[in-house]
Amino acid sequence: MPNWLKGGLIALVSIAGTLAIVQMMRSPVEGRAPDVNVLRTADGKPDLNGIWQAVGSANWNLLDHQARSGPVLELGAVLAVPAGLSVVEGNEIPYQPWAAAKQKENYENWLSRDPEVKCYLPGVPRATYMPYPFQILQTGSNDILVAYEYASASRVIRMGKAEPPPVDTWMGQSVGRWEGDTLVVDVTGLNDQTWFDRSGNFHSEAVHVVERFTPVSPGVLDYQVTIEDPKVFTRPWKIQMPLYRRQDKGVQLLEFKCVEFVEELLYGGLRKKTGQEQPFSTARLRWP
Amino acid sequence: MLLALAAGIAASALAVLVAQQPSAPATAAGAAANWTPTRTPDGQPDIQGTWTNYTSTPFEVPDKSDTPDVYAGDLDGTGRGTGPSSFLTDTSGRQLTKARSLVVDPPSGRVPIMPWAEERRNYKLAHIQDDWVNFTPWERCITRGVPGGIFPAGYGSGYQILQGPGYVAIVYEMIHEARIIPVDGRPHLGASFRLWNGDSRGRWDGNTLVVDITRYNDKGSVATNVATQRVRSIPQSEALHVVERFTRVDENTINYDVAIEDPKVFTAPWKVAMPLHREPDYQLFEYACHEGNRAVPNTLSGGRARDRAARAAGSR
Repeated sequence: MPNWLKGGLIALVSIAGTLAIVQMMRSPVEGRAPDVNVLRTADGKPDLNGIWQAVGSANWNLLDHQARSGPVLELGAVLAVPAGLSVVEGNEIPYQPWAAAKQKENYENWLSRDPEVKCYLPGVPRATYMPYPFQILQTGSNDILVAYEYASASRVIRMGKAEPPPVDTWMGQSVGRWEGDTLVVDVTGLNDQTWFDRSGNFHSEAVHVVERFTPVSPGVLDYQVTIEDPKVFTRPWKIQMPLYRRQDKGVQLLEFKCVEFVEELLYGGLRKKTGQEQPFSTARLRWP
Repeated sequence: MLLALAAGIAASALAVLVAQQPSAPATAAGAAANWTPTRTPDGQPDIQGTWTNYTSTPFEVPDKSDTPDVYAGDLDGTGRGTGPSSFLTDTSGRQLTKARSLVVDPPSGRVPIMPWAEERRNYKLAHIQDDWVNFTPWERCITRGVPGGIFPAGYGSGYQILQGPGYVAIVYEMIHEARIIPVDGRPHLGASFRLWNGDSRGRWDGNTLVVDITRYNDKGSVATNVATQRVRSIPQSEALHVVERFTRVDENTINYDVAIEDPKVFTAPWKVAMPLHREPDYQLFEYACHEGNRAVPNTLSGGRARDRAARAAGSR
């Protein structure tokens, strides 16, 4: 090959290479500067793969809350309620009057009513900000798995279109789409059994949840949720919080099969007495 | 109901017929020898999709010594067992495996269970009205276990396999298990971990996903449902060690082979082989098992009612 041709080829290849790199760095949103803080998959989508966890005490209460003693006297500072700032826009959940009264009643009867106490499936969005990690597994195909450590809960986010859910379920039906670098998940078909937190904030089966996961750096996702439920609220309302990538060495989801931890609570009175039981001491409970 | 019964009887008859045939490997007949799976973006053989495991092949080769009533927990002959009867479950004729049993090793098709473990099983099944720990972990809605979760349950038989960089995930429809298997070469968890489902570590051996599972607790069972007959509710020990092999042999078939050893429970290692069938139109439904568990409290409450009746009869 003549030298001039070789030189030309090298130049062409390097131009093509540069263009390819520029193309790879370009954010899918036209006209936006490439965001080097966003990890990307081979097809250019933000790469959300990893184990994530919310930090903070939203699972205790979505709204502003002061620290307070826990429900069991003997536990002292263990299981006391940590303080936290509101993750709800405007620090207000716009309940209809009857629903505001029900939330107050739920709060007062927290231990007997909170589905978390019974190890029930958490629903969405509560699953996201419970004090357990969850894993996002983004595939090369049409589905994204979100697996939660709590109660072996999981959901598969189907990208694109889907038929309406045939029945209501605890975890609902999740349908996703990309808006620029944001994974938008439309959650419908939720039942009326799940709560938003340990403070009795609740919804009906008419609830419609829209989640938005936006990477802001390789270690942080911005998590925004819009909640709409015409049976319970007077208007849609919004949650926003960061989700952090767990970077602990060898981090993995572990078993938190809590059914075993609640069987005594749920069925204890029905067990055949053998006389060999290790008795429980009487704990002093007080709530609220 | 009648139709289902008739179909069930037909399937059972067919199973008996098949049982007369010489043992054949449970691999899909006619699988193209040189079929190669496509690759995921991170280079794994692609085994993704929705799979089911319907089969009418019995778990073990039937034997005259079998006592199906005992395995179903029906010791008093009242016909009350737990779980679906094996001949009434949701099966599909076109997916019959051509084998005498799903147990392929030892060649007898019989699991080499130690006598103490059978006694333990009989005790537990006969005393489910006393204490929830006597139920299998499936009925308690904890787990169907590993590998038990892949043995045919009769219903809720969907499995979705997803693959991302460094991982293979299997979403089990039954009790909504999302099992995440790292395939990045990391070591097992520390030995102090004792888990219901053990700790899974995978690697690719050519086109075969090989999963090594250890760190089990001694509270579970390798098999939990009536379809597994004699092996149901046989305890597992902390020494349980399982190796699963998933090989996609054609577009629509994964051959699933599993080797089970537990020197405290079985006198020898044994193996199960069965196919998983691709069913793209199958939709996994949420199985909120614990949330709707009436079986455990109702069974216990029935036991306490019996106790009261016995006391009343005694004091008369």
